[in-house]
Amino acid sequence: MSRLLRRASLRHLTSHPWLIGLSLLGVAVAVAVVVGIDLANASARRAFQLSVEGVAGRATHEIVGGPSGLRESVYVDLRTQHGVDGITPIVEATVAATNGTGRTFQLLGIDLFVDDQLRSFTPKFQGNTDPAAFLTLPGATYLGHELAQQLGIKAGDRLPIRAAGLARELEIVGLLAPPDELSRQALRDLLIVDIASAQEFLGLEGRLSRIDMSLPSGREQVEHEAKIRALLPADAELRTKSARAGALDQMTRAFRLNLSALSLLALVVGMFLIYNTMTFSVVQRRPLIGTLRALGVTRRQIFALIAGEALLIGMIGSAVGIAGGIALARGLLVLVAQTINDLYFAISVTSISIPMSGWLKGALLGIVGTVLSAMKPAKEATSAPPREVLARSDLERQARRAVTRTALTGGCLLLVSASLIALPSKNLLLSFAALFLFVLGFAALVPAATQAMIRWLKTPMRRVFGVLGTMAVRGVATTMSRTGVAISALVISVSVTIGVGVMVASFRSTLIDWLGVTLAADVYVAPADPGSHGGAKTLDPEVLQRIENDPRVAFVSTIRRVRVSSPRGPVLVAALSTERPGFSAYRFAQGEPDDAWDRFQLQAAAIISESFAYHNDLDVGSVVELSTDRGAHSFEVAGVYYDYGSDQGVVTLSRATYDRYWDDPSIFSIGLFTHQDVDRERLIEDLRAQLSGHENVRWISNRDLREASLEIFDRTFVITEVLRLLAVVVAFIGVLTALMALQLERAREFGVLRANGLTPRQVAGLVIVQCGLMGSVAGLLSLPLGSALAVMLIHIINRRSFGWTLQMELPPSILVQALVLALAAAVLAGLYPAFRLSRASPALALREE
Amino acid sequence: MPWLAMVLLCTLVLGCRDSSRPPTTAGLSSRETPINSAVEILGGGDTAGYELAIEPHEFVFPRDHGPHPGFKTEWWYFTGHLETDEGARFGYQLTFFRQALAPEAPDRPSSWATRQLYLAHFALTDVSGGSFHSFERFSRGAAGLAGADENHPFRVWLEDWSAEAMTTEAFPLRLRATSRGPEPIALDLTLESHKPVVLQGDRGLSRKGDQPGDASYYYSLTRLSARGTVTIHQRSVPVTGSSWLDREWSTSALGQEQVGWDWFSIQLDDQRELMLAQLRRADGSVDPVSHGTLVAADGSTRPLAYEDFVIEVTSTWRSPHGAFYPSRWRLQIPAAALILQVEPLLADQELDVSFRYWEGAVSVQGADLGNPLRGLGYVELVGYSE
Repeated sequence: MSRLLRRASLRHLTSHPWLIGLSLLGVAVAVAVVVGIDLANASARRAFQLSVEGVAGRATHEIVGGPSGLRESVYVDLRTQHGVDGITPIVEATVAATNGTGRTFQLLGIDLFVDDQLRSFTPKFQGNTDPAAFLTLPGATYLGHELAQQLGIKAGDRLPIRAAGLARELEIVGLLAPPDELSRQALRDLLIVDIASAQEFLGLEGRLSRIDMSLPSGREQVEHEAKIRALLPADAELRTKSARAGALDQMTRAFRLNLSALSLLALVVGMFLIYNTMTFSVVQRRPLIGTLRALGVTRRQIFALIAGEALLIGMIGSAVGIAGGIALARGLLVLVAQTINDLYFAISVTSISIPMSGWLKGALLGIVGTVLSAMKPAKEATSAPPREVLARSDLERQARRAVTRTALTGGCLLLVSASLIALPSKNLLLSFAALFLFVLGFAALVPAATQAMIRWLKTPMRRVFGVLGTMAVRGVATTMSRTGVAISALVISVSVTIGVGVMVASFRSTLIDWLGVTLAADVYVAPADPGSHGGAKTLDPEVLQRIENDPRVAFVSTIRRVRVSSPRGPVLVAALSTERPGFSAYRFAQGEPDDAWDRFQLQAAAIISESFAYHNDLDVGSVVELSTDRGAHSFEVAGVYYDYGSDQGVVTLSRATYDRYWDDPSIFSIGLFTHQDVDRERLIEDLRAQLSGHENVRWISNRDLREASLEIFDRTFVITEVLRLLAVVVAFIGVLTALMALQLERAREFGVLRANGLTPRQVAGLVIVQCGLMGSVAGLLSLPLGSALAVMLIHIINRRSFGWTLQMELPPSILVQALVLALAAAVLAGLYPAFRLSRASPALALREE
Repeated sequence: MPWLAMVLLCTLVLGCRDSSRPPTTAGLSSRETPINSAVEILGGGDTAGYELAIEPHEFVFPRDHGPHPGFKTEWWYFTGHLETDEGARFGYQLTFFRQALAPEAPDRPSSWATRQLYLAHFALTDVSGGSFHSFERFSRGAAGLAGADENHPFRVWLEDWSAEAMTTEAFPLRLRATSRGPEPIALDLTLESHKPVVLQGDRGLSRKGDQPGDASYYYSLTRLSARGTVTIHQRSVPVTGSSWLDREWSTSALGQEQVGWDWFSIQLDDQRELMLAQLRRADGSVDPVSHGTLVAADGSTRPLAYEDFVIEVTSTWRSPHGAFYPSRWRLQIPAAALILQVEPLLADQELDVSFRYWEGAVSVQGADLGNPLRGLGYVELVGYSE
């Protein structure tokens, strides 16, 4: 018996190759998107971890200093006065190769004589190296064998780089053979130079980036930490390596989670496709199932049959999807790494790592998703008594009854979602759960809404298309068992594209508004450093002096941005020197500008960015504790301002306050406020000529800076756009599958119509109009859902991830685009069935009767 | 004459990549780095631009205790014997080497930029405990990590190992060194000098080869008293004893045929001291530039030429690392009617550092014109490690 069942199943599947092919494609694409994003995320993260671990070597701790680095005397004292061993000084920064590849590297300045105490890949003496040259030649560099091969350089060759804004040249004097895998990973992106070269190239004379050290683990660790801390001056701090890596990892967490959630949306759409396909294949086989049941096949056997088919589709689809996902990940990785580079820290990922968990997750989602989606149709097929199953009319009657039931379920899901949102929590996973429940709830309402809309459309359709219009409307209404799910799938896919599109558009317009207010100065001056995460971005004081002395300049603002440690982890601190008009660039979400200004200037109060306030639960009047060069100090919050420059948040202090607590006179950028009627182009020309020796200074007009900011924004949202496009692809395939199968199945119905005198043209027209109708309904229904999704993405997901307030913007173009997408997909899906059905011989179609 | 740095010198000057010296890399496990190859890399053997030791030098103290950065190689070599009140005996060695990597001092803004490399060895022979401990450190001569000040006061240091004058005079001089790890071995001594400076060779110019400039400037302080503490097994004990300082700087020295050397510094009970340096050639013969000095109780010196002394090996010892070292000697100086038996206080005093050599405390017994004579000394054996 079971062999018979299997054959029946196989016959059904092979006789509907379109159906089976498209559902496989649906599963595959959905799984591919999830796997692709997952792998890209995991690879970026893994590459980062490996390089951190590899570079750290055996170091468990590090000693770091204030904003301008650690005084090198701290290291020398530890070694010469206190006899501390197993410590190594490091001066490092990201530099970019200027040999045309644009690759970024970590320039690691080491002390060769002690570095092998912690790192196994920096031996004092090794066959292929020239330590004397390394020590005495400025720019002498060691690098790994593999990297040298990639770059096509060998010992004795030169490598041009840009470090701290200046063109420099490295000379390769040694190739390192990594002794182990971790070292190999570390060496992939490392240019190793003597600490003297690193200081000179990065403008960090007298300073260290950090001191690496290894302390024994376990109970003794605390004791050792205390001993070291007792030896350190107030401006130096001992912390664990994992704390730093953890903080960096945490920085990108929200970003990665958002990508994962978007990829899961693709999976939800995919599951709807599968649900649709399985429902359809069950519905189509009702007569067969009825016959089988009448012949004595048990419910369980039928259920197993359907579930088995789903399992098969799930497995094959997932396998294809995983392969596709791995391919997709390679492309996505570039985008993920680019975004992390732009927003967070320098990372260079060259290879994809494929952890078992990555593709297992994809396979599990694909298979379990498929089988789960098939549960309901399978149950439905087996629940009815044999005779009833045979009757189509019963089914449709049931389906119409089910519409109400489903709508009620949908209502409940929406309520649950709403109450999840109402919970006073910042939990991102909870927010995403609410989002998904909302989508499902709305999807369940779609059939009811479709029925209502169809009733409303009956008259206009008749007016436009005549009797064909009426037939099309009726056709949709009477085939709810098949059309309901298809339309839901279409609604979800299209609304995802709306939601994401509106979110990005709102973000962009908010950013433009904000830039308009924030970029208040007429001209900006900053170090010309392409690698935006170097440690040495400061301006020569002479630059500031020349600018201030120019009579055309009314006043200047200066900013120094530094990372400072605090009990909450590293905090971005900005030291701002400006005058009252310059302060107007800060728009306050909390606090009153005049009051904030007074306290900021006179009472050493801080103003903090919105995301910093959000993440740390701070308000006006709270205090922020920071590690200063004078020890820990608490700063009162005088205002919370809008800022979209950093999702970690910024604490801004007045320059005077900063100078009181930190020994760091350097500045990062200058904003020039000119007098009215000053020719700014001319001013820039003049100042540039006066400061011709300062080649590492970049002059940017207000407009250029605004454009550059938007460019970065657009670049970081490329990946979101890609995901949105992928959702569109899934949606398209979904609609294609659903509608095409639906129409093809109606061959006999159309045979009857042909026999009754409809011309092939009219049949084709009927099919296309009906598809168009469903597309329009889906398109219209996706507008409210899409907008709701956008609201949730903007006000809940984005806020909880990054702490930003975005002004919602609903560009009509996105809505129109969605409608066109739905309609186009639907009509396109109707083309092939229309062509085939119109060509079919009515006699053949009717022969069964 | 402490010879270790001469290995550096040889390889630097001659670039003896092929080298007539026995290969010193063979037999080393892969974990260890053969320093001779490292040294080849370090120097490249070019002496152009460095000062050379050609004419006898006008020594001025304390200035000449300080560094001579224009020369390629320089060292401060302290050795000595110590004893506790209970009679426990120790030998120690604390050496600072300076090696220039380039003839010109760099003109660079970073304080880490330098051309001077410092290397230091610290060894303690626990005679009573029958153990020997040796330690090695490298550093750049910059950023305050290592270096030497010639004056006010004199000081040479590498991290927290140092020899530092306690006044503006060279003596009293404080020596300090501590090993790392859970049970550190440490030395803290104050040295006083009891004899004038001994200029070795021709008024302090010590020839090593045939070519002009194949020589070093070399002086010794042969009779120093020491007082301080030794820390071992987590216990600091007060000690007193004697010490010897060898100072030498040069740019080029050894001939290509020279493969190693044996160096003796001996302090006799009758307040005389003896230094012998014997250079060995590849064919097993002794190089005629070998020489020595006998210092009388009043500080007057008597140079010893190659033909004035005979060193006879009476026993050998095999190191755990495979090398065969001489381990007992009979020294004869017929002109002074001296015959001395020299015996290590501990067989294994081989320094297990980047380049292995044997440098150890020895006891001396002998006769002067038939009268019994005792003494203590240090012996250095280089070029035996295979």
